[in-house]
Amino acid sequence: MNSIIKAITSSLLALLLLASCSKDFLDRPPLSKVNAETFYQTPQDLRLATAALYAGNLWGDWNQNCMLPVGDILSGNFIVGWWGDAAQLNTFSVTNTNGIMISNWSSLYKIIARCNGTINNIKRKTPSTVPDSTKNGAIAEARFIRGFAYYNLALLWGAVPIIEDTEELITKPLVNRFKTEDVYRFAINDLMFAARHLKARDEKGRLTTWSAQGMLSKVYLTRAGLNSQSQGMRDQAFLDSAKFYAGNVIKKSGLKLLPNYADLFKTQFNDNEESLFALQWSPITSGWLEGNMLMVYSPDAKISPRGEAGWSSMLPSIDLYNQYEQADTFRRKATIMLKGDHYPELDAANGGFTWNGDCILKKHIVGNEKDNNAPTMTRTSSPEHNALLRLADVYLIYAEATLGNNSSTSDPEAVEYFNMVRRRAFFKDPYATDPDSKEYDVTSITEDMLIKERRVELAAEGHYWNDLVRLAYYNSPKAIQILSHGGGSSAASKRVSFTYDNKTKTAKAAEPNGDIVEPTIGSFTFPIPAQEVTANPKLLEPAVSYY
Amino acid sequence: MQLTKTIRLRLLLLWGVLSVSLFSTNTYAQTRKITGTVIEQKTSDPLPGASVTVKNEKRFAVTDASGKFTIEATTGDIVVVTMLGFQTTEVVVGTGNTVKVKLVEKPSHLLNEVVVNVGYGTVKKQDVTGAVSSIKGEDLRSTQPTTFEQALQGKVAGVVVQQTSGQPGGGVSVQIRGVQSISGGSPLYVIDGVFYGGAITTPASMGAGTNPMAGINPSDIESIDILKDASATAIYGSQATNGVVVITTKRGKGAIPSISYEMYTGYQQLPSKVQVMNLKEFATFINERNNKGAGWGFDARPEFVNPEYLGEGTDWQDALFSNAPMSNHSLSVSGNEGRTSYFFSGSHFKQVGIATGSSFKRTSFRLNLDNKTTSWLKVGTSLQFVHMNDNVGTSSGNVIHTALSQTPDIPIKNADGSWGGAYNRNGWVNSTVNPFAVATINVDKVNRNQIFDNTYAEIIFSRNWTLRNEFNASFSMANQERFNPSYTFGTVVNNNNGGAFGYSQTLNTVFRNYLTYARVFRNKYNVNIMGGHEAILDQSESSSGSRSNFPTNNAVGIDGGDPTTARTGSSKGHTAVESYFGRLNFGINEKYLFTANLRGDGSSRFVRGNRWVATYSGAFAWRIKNEKFLKSVKSVNDLKLRLGYGLTNNQGISATAYTTTLSTVPTGLTGIAQSLDNVPNSKVKWETTKASNIGLEGTFFNWRANFSIDLYDKTTDGLLLQLPLPMYSGAAVGWSPGALIAPFVNIGSINNKGIDLNIGFTAVKTKKFNWRTEANMSHNINEVLKLNTDGASLNGWPVSRTVVGRSIGEFYGYKVDGGVYANIKELQEHARPAKNGDILPYGPNGGSIWLGDLKFKDKNGDGIIDEDDQYFLGSPRPKFQLGLNNTFSYKNFNLNVFFTSNIGNKVFNSMRVQGEWPGTSFGYLKTLNNFAKIEMIDPNGSPTDPANLHVINPETRVVSLRNDNTNGNTRTSDSYVEDGSFLKCKTINFSYTLPTKLIEKAHINSLRLYASVSNAFIITKYSGLDPEIGSWDPLTAGVDGGFYPQPRVFTFGANIKLTK
Repeated sequence: MNSIIKAITSSLLALLLLASCSKDFLDRPPLSKVNAETFYQTPQDLRLATAALYAGNLWGDWNQNCMLPVGDILSGNFIVGWWGDAAQLNTFSVTNTNGIMISNWSSLYKIIARCNGTINNIKRKTPSTVPDSTKNGAIAEARFIRGFAYYNLALLWGAVPIIEDTEELITKPLVNRFKTEDVYRFAINDLMFAARHLKARDEKGRLTTWSAQGMLSKVYLTRAGLNSQSQGMRDQAFLDSAKFYAGNVIKKSGLKLLPNYADLFKTQFNDNEESLFALQWSPITSGWLEGNMLMVYSPDAKISPRGEAGWSSMLPSIDLYNQYEQADTFRRKATIMLKGDHYPELDAANGGFTWNGDCILKKHIVGNEKDNNAPTMTRTSSPEHNALLRLADVYLIYAEATLGNNSSTSDPEAVEYFNMVRRRAFFKDPYATDPDSKEYDVTSITEDMLIKERRVELAAEGHYWNDLVRLAYYNSPKAIQILSHGGGSSAASKRVSFTYDNKTKTAKAAEPNGDIVEPTIGSFTFPIPAQEVTANPKLLEPAVSYY
Repeated sequence: MQLTKTIRLRLLLLWGVLSVSLFSTNTYAQTRKITGTVIEQKTSDPLPGASVTVKNEKRFAVTDASGKFTIEATTGDIVVVTMLGFQTTEVVVGTGNTVKVKLVEKPSHLLNEVVVNVGYGTVKKQDVTGAVSSIKGEDLRSTQPTTFEQALQGKVAGVVVQQTSGQPGGGVSVQIRGVQSISGGSPLYVIDGVFYGGAITTPASMGAGTNPMAGINPSDIESIDILKDASATAIYGSQATNGVVVITTKRGKGAIPSISYEMYTGYQQLPSKVQVMNLKEFATFINERNNKGAGWGFDARPEFVNPEYLGEGTDWQDALFSNAPMSNHSLSVSGNEGRTSYFFSGSHFKQVGIATGSSFKRTSFRLNLDNKTTSWLKVGTSLQFVHMNDNVGTSSGNVIHTALSQTPDIPIKNADGSWGGAYNRNGWVNSTVNPFAVATINVDKVNRNQIFDNTYAEIIFSRNWTLRNEFNASFSMANQERFNPSYTFGTVVNNNNGGAFGYSQTLNTVFRNYLTYARVFRNKYNVNIMGGHEAILDQSESSSGSRSNFPTNNAVGIDGGDPTTARTGSSKGHTAVESYFGRLNFGINEKYLFTANLRGDGSSRFVRGNRWVATYSGAFAWRIKNEKFLKSVKSVNDLKLRLGYGLTNNQGISATAYTTTLSTVPTGLTGIAQSLDNVPNSKVKWETTKASNIGLEGTFFNWRANFSIDLYDKTTDGLLLQLPLPMYSGAAVGWSPGALIAPFVNIGSINNKGIDLNIGFTAVKTKKFNWRTEANMSHNINEVLKLNTDGASLNGWPVSRTVVGRSIGEFYGYKVDGGVYANIKELQEHARPAKNGDILPYGPNGGSIWLGDLKFKDKNGDGIIDEDDQYFLGSPRPKFQLGLNNTFSYKNFNLNVFFTSNIGNKVFNSMRVQGEWPGTSFGYLKTLNNFAKIEMIDPNGSPTDPANLHVINPETRVVSLRNDNTNGNTRTSDSYVEDGSFLKCKTINFSYTLPTKLIEKAHINSLRLYASVSNAFIITKYSGLDPEIGSWDPLTAGVDGGFYPQPRVFTFGANIKLTK
């Protein structure tokens, strides 16, 4: 072999051998995704980050498995028979392995984790070139939603872990539960921050200071009764705060009730002027538990997207049906369908839809893809921006906070707000001075009237259970009685569906799905999911103070 | 002769690849013709087919039938004669024109002299200092494996092989010496220098249950070396923690070109069925539940009024499983033409699954070339192309689970030919899809193409210095085509069809250079030093699209769908590793052998500062046989003691675990949103494993008996794991909509201790009859030493728990205390579950505990059943694993019987949770008939007074017919944990090799015919389909949720080798 070639080759190869790769060979940042180190740089980035908190997979599980199952099935407004976990809610035999309650727990904490990540990333990574007001405004959106989640946790489980920084759990995963009042205080602090830093007006669907103040009024109202079991009196200071914030929203926001109750639940009226906090579902998000799956309750293929009927039915209870006054037909019809009810807006292309079954849920059944002009919608991606807080709720909160510890109130403002909600229900102009509109007005309000009005106004929106828990805080015998012995009947006679004769307009109670257990004070607090206690036995220890 | 020619012609036509003349003759000037004869030394028989070369020249000849050859040479040239099975012999050409060469047969122990590939070089088996097990290709193929890992089962001590799915070509999990890493647990496969699998180089794969390693054709494998201990694996550094499987494919050898054809064909069947209720039993049960079940009374099924008139109904297992064919054809050509050796093969493998909707096809080509270009340069390549088709409809539709869930009253097809399905909306009729229909009409196909290439150039600078440059490129792509048509199965209706197409590809490139210095000093000191550099870049890309609303159910391609429903997605990723490595081998007098390895790896997966890590190892071997005191002992042929210690590292985490990524998601607000993906952990570091090994191996009695025993102790620190935090973290491992992806953390330490034992013995050795027994046994103890989780456990919910002091992923739950609450005394006195700390009442109403509910053991004796009463219920990992191989040969007949066994592992039979629960609306297991039966003591007394009731079968573990589960009867308990021990007859293979005399005139070198049965039978107490349940995730191993069982396979095959 030619020794020169050999020398050249060998030295070249030796060079190759010794040469390392270039210095940045090992720098391999994510290629197809934005990463947190380079995001959160501009006000636009922050808006994109907070927009993700309003809907999508973080809310999907809660919206499907928790909002109605807890708010309306557990409370006895509706019955779902063939879904084992929901049947447990119906019969009050909820165990610590109940899938719905596990979903509820995990999904609220998923929401919290997203909010924590967003809040902390904005705090840590946004440069000072972004104005503080923009930064705080974005953080306020996340803190509102986090506050909403903690409020729900406090309602259902009382003392729970408070997580502010998910990354801290990497080194310290075992946390204690914190006292119920501290969980409420944490939620209130979040909402206070949100009330201070959210704008008075924003893009349609975004949270405003009025959202936060409305939510604050609700949390204060609930907090007012906590730990008042023995004296039966709610804390006046909290009641005053509730009234203050509710009053602010009613008087200063410039928002108004939507004139037609049924419109509240039509997609054409998504994010209407009454909506204070609504989930911003996209009809494109159709993954399982990633979109708004409420259309799975649709009873008929004709009024379902792509001609596929839902696979589950929610039947109203006879007890809920009995709450409606005879003339309260518009509100009733927008909430539940009875045999013979006709809905021109559903399957509109074929002249509307007539329900021929006995009784079934109507609210959230928005029709097929043509009715909603949403070609991509499916059963698992309804375009309805279902509201979690709306103005009518705040009106009733104002009335309840004003009533406070009295047996009745004739406070003119409280009575007027209460009546406005009623007038609209009876298809009257809520803001009219016209005497005709005042046909169904009341002159004073009692607690019973408020409970009933809230129940029918907000039925199938996930609120009634929360109202009962609020009542149970300071008057558990009454809360138990409402669920059980009202009118001398047992829980079993109330928590059943009914058959409806549209000729005689009479309803006949159906058989219960299994044994319905009588509620006790213990029914108002849930056991922490078994797997969570197994993972962290500290959750069985007494709650500690956070503050 | 004529026959052979015909066969050969057919083969040639069949494959259409062998039309090339493989010979050429070169003549050179200034030489003369030398003729010679090659004979066998003892018998003086002429030896045809021996290869004759002239040393340092290209010239080359082959002996003819009478052992004669002719070659050009000059005086002083050295003629080298080689032949398989004989010692290579050299003869110096004298002045004459003829030479006579006598070949001596190699002693039997040297016949298979094993060269072990230890990574970046080979050593002779006797010089190995680490724990390395080697398997020959033909041993591997005796079980007719679809993929090569399947064949490792039971063959090597210390290697646990479990299929994660029995679907054709399905995934296999391989663990070498226990679980030492909870993440990325599979070993690194190195195939002719190409990294395959391991932390960074997994080929593109799509579809449920497919096996990324399925591309390797078992027929191409020459040998497999499994590097088990750190002293052996450390040279592979950061990817070696879970062991290294080095695969060497066949290369050209022997002067005579040979054509080899292997084929087998067979059929497979389902070995056993799960016992489920037939229609009559089902109807009887439903009636009983409706009539007597407390809290029921709403599920009357008029069609079941007279169960005695009902037949068997549908057996969904019969519907879904059928006998299915499989076949394999492999053709290879190999040879050595002086400077160039070649091995070329093509194969086609086809297997239809026993379950409807599953199949696997593989077509592969391989070309291995080595060329000695000049005296200082050698170049070569190992090139493989594979095309695979997987039909994964069975797995993606979870069809086996569905089949066991569907009830026998549903027909497969209705009388009018339409698909059967639930027909009754009222009552407790489940809307389970028709599993057979789903498996039949759904399309879920995966196509894969892979090209692996390792090209090398070796420069020999001098006798001692060699530089090897390698460039590897592995390109793999996979696409998945899915179509779900609309259907009507009775009341189960899907009006929307949809199609999806996905594509993914990876390109992995490796530049590798290493320099070796080898020299023997003073005929006594053997030195081998190697040092090198390696850079790996792995790039991946994927894209997907889907549409729905197709005008027809026969649509092909997603373009046929409604454009407004189109969805697309894509991703891109890259990782890199850079390494420096070196090794020193030092031997003294062939008695004392030392090895030291050192390697530095940098990985892109960690932030700067945590990026680089060092791997090292040292080993010592003492060849005792070469000591004076043993040299003369005839009965000991070899005896060697090995000691090794080393540290290896692992990087098995996601490529960007250190930071948070954000995904673009749609929103109902205007525009789009950026949603957080994961919880980051920038502090995450390398996982390190320190391991020591001591081994003794020996061969005795004229190579008739051999053994090896190894003891090892390994401790892994900084265990990498995607941390399953409690739910309040909002983070999760695996699918959980809305959850952030759990962070990767260095979670703690784990220890594996164990013993590997191999024994082989030729019990009978006569001229006609031979009997050889080989056995291996391994035992591994896995213990978690530390978890940096603040005292928390790691939970593989709902069934397992990992805590300090126990092994990974032990089942955890309640123990049933005897059976059910049988009478009032037990209701009153035995502990009952509690809710929020308050004991639940007993009584017939909902919300209470009642007769026929399961009694759970009150572990702490506090009178209530709660989370504190849970026990560890056993480990899914076998305590012992055994392999037993017996080979009997009589004349040309050969019988091989191979058993494998797992002892001491538990399986969580998840199918029973549903199938034995009277409250479901799904199909029931036969065992549900043994539900707790409540009878009145006084028939005229109260039917609700517990004092008047008792359970007549109190020992049962199936609860009574009551529509309430306040007791949590289906909680994880020992009821569902079964003994998964088994003894499996893995193969029985009977073969006949045609006598040489009969075939040699036809120029057939060898012809072997065989028949075999795989998975012939199994002895086990397990009640499910197959107790061999593999899992990729050690925290949730051993859970049977409708597992695709391994089929029993009957095959008939032939191996033919032709020369010249």
